[in-house]
Parts: sequence; structure tokens; C-alpha cells
Amino acid sequence: MELQFKSELTISESGFLFDHSTGLTYTLNSTGQFIFRKIQDKQNAMHILNFVMQEFDVSEETAHKDLDDFVRQLKEFDLVSR
Amino acid sequence: MNLNIAITGLHATDNPAPGIGVIRCLLHDENWNGKIIGLGYDVYDTGIYDKGLLDHTYLIPYPNQGVDQLLERIQYIHHHIPIDVIIPTLDSELAIFQRIKQNLKDMGISMFIPSKEIVNKRSKQNLVSFCEEAKISTPKTVVIHEQGQFQKAIDEIGFPLFVKGVFYDAYKCKNISDTSHYFDEFRKKWGFPVLLQKPVNGKEYNVCCVGGVDGELLGSVAIRKVGLTDKGKAWSAITIRNEKLTEFSKKILKKLKWNGPCELEIMVEERTGELFLLEINPRFPAWIYLCTGADQNLPKLVVDLALGKKVSALPLAKSGITFVRHATDMVCPLDYIENLTIKGELHY
Repeated sequence: MELQFKSELTISESGFLFDHSTGLTYTLNSTGQFIFRKIQDKQNAMHILNFVMQEFDVSEETAHKDLDDFVRQLKEFDLVSR
Repeated sequence: MNLNIAITGLHATDNPAPGIGVIRCLLHDENWNGKIIGLGYDVYDTGIYDKGLLDHTYLIPYPNQGVDQLLERIQYIHHHIPIDVIIPTLDSELAIFQRIKQNLKDMGISMFIPSKEIVNKRSKQNLVSFCEEAKISTPKTVVIHEQGQFQKAIDEIGFPLFVKGVFYDAYKCKNISDTSHYFDEFRKKWGFPVLLQKPVNGKEYNVCCVGGVDGELLGSVAIRKVGLTDKGKAWSAITIRNEKLTEFSKKILKKLKWNGPCELEIMVEERTGELFLLEINPRFPAWIYLCTGADQNLPKLVVDLALGKKVSALPLAKSGITFVRHATDMVCPLDYIENLTIKGELHY
């Protein structure tokens, strides 16, 4: 399943995220930044899960939890549609 | 630009008038080569002491002193420093400048402001009917013209609600006692009408626009206010790029045939994403200098329009540009105050 951002978002090297349509800003930790960039690259959820497991050397269960948490927050902030 | 441009609205305290921001925009233009003439109403209008921005300062009579006095004063100034363009920046003076527009034109002084009829359409008491006619969403509002309509209006809007004065200010009220209090306050201060309005739950955005001769949108900068003073005025803000806001602004200006600068106050409802027009301020906002950072020099655009130049719509404003307002003190010698008090003018 592919995740899509609802509006134009820009992220800096430091993980500072800017939503051009609302002017709201967010700060992403390293896991968030990693997942965010994979979504930007139009990777689907299954691929992102595998990338997270490899990048951070974590179990599927942990990666799943991290990904779910991050996507839930993106939805809460109305940044992503699925 | 080798022009002499006169600007009003120079009192810049914690609720600053837009004049200083407008001047900074004009000076920001790389081709600027003119003179700035500050038009103040009071010896202690703060901005008239900013010799880094102004070349000349003249005091002018308050609008309630009448057309003849204002015209006479401008004739005097124009005789000494020929004025090419006047940019009025205050709501309260717009009507009198509309009345002398032709006299000024005959003197060779240009302005680019909308007519009285157009400005009246967006007044607080007329906004609802304009929006209905133009099919533009605005929060449910009841305009109260007499005391007897008060209770019925409350029943119609329900709580919570905003009580709004016909000129300035709005207070959110959750009960009858607060509503009565602010209603009486507005009634005593400015008389009727007083407005009751249903709040929209969402985010507020402000858009500074310039409409061309037929109300076509020639430039716009949209912001989200980040920091507010206790009066709800922007102390910091960030520019955004939002297609829905731009299209909404385009529609409003076109329907009004708005020719000149204005600031739109717009709510985006959280639940539905629907856009609601709250107010139209018939002038530049105090945060106008931010537009130069977004690559849209809207005051310069207004000067070009006033001079009858052919202008094209500006490219989209840059998003992510921020301003932070910073209060500072200016130090000046006694003769500045003496000149303004005795002669009503000051030359730097």
C-alpha cells in the first residue's frame, strides 16, 4: 500500500519539516526522517518496513511498531492519505 | 523610480499602522530613486521620526476635520515637494481620500484605491449579503441594528459566539452575561450595528492582495500568524503557498472588482477544509514588508498601477519566509519635535 503526502512538504538535513500549504513546522527524529524520505520516494509500506529493519537492525515487530506510530502521527497531523 | 511618494499611517506602536512597512517595501526596490514624504496626524506618530526611511514629514488634519482642510494641506505640501503618488494606509481615512481623488488627480497626484461603493460592499455590516450574492462562504452572522434584536440574534447564532464591533475588535463569548457586556461596550463606543458571529473551528490565514483595474488578482502573499500580541496582532508569521487560498482570493477580488490593496482574513474549517471569509481590510496589512522576502513587492505594484503603468500578475509568492517584529527606540533632538509642533513639518 502506497502512502502519499497531502501537500507540498520540505524536510531539511536536520529533520525540520515545513508544510508549504499551512505554514506548520515539525521536527522529525532519525527514524521519522528515514521513513519520511522513503515515503517521498514513493516506496510502499512493505518496502519501507524492510528498509527500517535493515537500516536500524531491528526486528520486524519493532519496525512495524515504529512505522505504524509514525504513520499514525502523520495522519493525526493530516499530512498523509492512504 | 524617481518619484515623490507620500504615505500615511506611520504610528507604529504595539498595534502598528501599515505605513512604515509600505515605505520599507518601496525602499527595498533596487531601482528606487525617489523621495518619501511621511504624512502624520500627530506630533507623536512614531514613524515620522525615522529619518532613515523618510525624506520629509508633514502633519495633515484628521479625517474628521473635513475635505477642505485636507485638500488645502496637500496643496501646500505639493507646492513645496511635488507629490506623484499618495498611498493611504488606514481604514479611517479611506473615505476622505476617495472624496478628493479627482482633485488630487487634477493636481497631478495619483492614487490606486477602490471606490466608496466597492469598499462599502466589504464593510462588516454588508459582508454577509455580498458573500451570499457572490456565493462565498462566510461564518453565520447576524447584524444587530437596534437593542430589540439582541435576544433574537443570540437565539439564532447560539453559543459560543463572537461579538464584533462595526469597526474593530471581536470577543468570543460563551454565555449571555459576557455577550451583553461586550455588546453594550461596542454599542456605547461606536453605536449600532453590532454583529454576532458563529465561530469557525479551524486555522486562520491572512492574504495580502492587490487587485488590478477590473479586480484581477495581480499579486498575493498568504501567511499564517505564528506569534500574536495580546490584541491578536501578528508579531511573527510565515508565508505559505496554498492553491485553495489563492483561488478563493481571486474569486473574492473579482466578485468585488477590487482595485487596490487589501488584506483578507480567511478561516479554513478543520473538519471540512472549507474556506470562510472573515473580513476584508481595505488596505495593506502592517506585516506588508514580509512580501519583499516572498519576492512580491506589492506596494511597488500599487505605485505602478497608480501611475497607470501596464502591469502583469506577479509570479507566485515564495513560501517559508518568516518575519519577526522587533521593537526598537529612536533617539531624536528636540528640534524635530519643535519643527513638527510649530510648523507641522520636518525635513531630514
